[in-house]
Amino acid sequence: MNIAATERTPAISLTHNPLKLVMKGESFPEDVSAFYGEVITAINQLATSVKGKLEVEMAFIYINSSSIKAMYRIFEGIDAYRQAGNDVQVVWRAEEDDDIMQELGEDFKDRFQALNFTVEQHG
Amino acid sequence: MDLSQAILLRNSLRNNHVIMAYNGTVSDDLMVTLADLLKERLVANDDVKRSKLIFAVFMEGVQNLIWHGKEHEENMGMILITEHDKEITIMCGNRIEKDKTQGLKDRLAQIEGADKDTIRQMYRDGMSNASEHDGPGSGLGLLEIARRSTHPISYTFVDVDDHSVDFIMAATI
Repeated sequence: MNIAATERTPAISLTHNPLKLVMKGESFPEDVSAFYGEVITAINQLATSVKGKLEVEMAFIYINSSSIKAMYRIFEGIDAYRQAGNDVQVVWRAEEDDDIMQELGEDFKDRFQALNFTVEQHG
Repeated sequence: MDLSQAILLRNSLRNNHVIMAYNGTVSDDLMVTLADLLKERLVANDDVKRSKLIFAVFMEGVQNLIWHGKEHEENMGMILITEHDKEITIMCGNRIEKDKTQGLKDRLAQIEGADKDTIRQMYRDGMSNASEHDGPGSGLGLLEIARRSTHPISYTFVDVDDHSVDFIMAATI
């Protein structure tokens, strides 16, 4: 899966070799379900289609509240992959001055405490 | 409108330090257009952290108008932004059905009395309980606004008639 970024939606790539999910950019799509539907489906299929370590990298600029609902579903899928016996490493990157994205990373980490989850700020 | 009325309106906007005023149909396109204008103005202020707070509050406030205005009057809403004493206040208002006000009132009362840590915990709980709330923002929008504001949110409900209520809320950053 390789979705290019727009002004309102993030770039999303999901590769199997290496197994990696990357999401970067803005997230306030006009129709959240339409945009994130196939991503959620693809993540949910991982546990039954592949094995091995999954790396997740997320670097958002802004996420609206309805996208957060979709992101929660994505994290549920990632956590299900972990529960299927696989290693998972999540890195959540916030820009240096971005307390909002830093805090949101901490909030997701709090909700998914069994995940190996790092929140980083970078310049 | 009488032109003298227009001047009174202009004076009122000026005296109240209004930097952006909109009344009418609130669409997704309008939100994006106004957000771009607001961003341009905020970039000039050169305070990245504060700009992000203002942008987040604006987006959630307007999205509330789009989502919750659907039941009534074709998404009519009002957006007012004032800038005074280095503080920006974002006000969003719309007309809602009277029988839908109680749930909103309860929710606002809960948020109003909460400190920042409690609001953050409510937000985290809201993330997990997204499906319980009907609405695309899973009830997180109001919490997002409260969380990003530097002062407690304020709001009011004004009865229009037996069926309708004017609702407006304000958040200051």
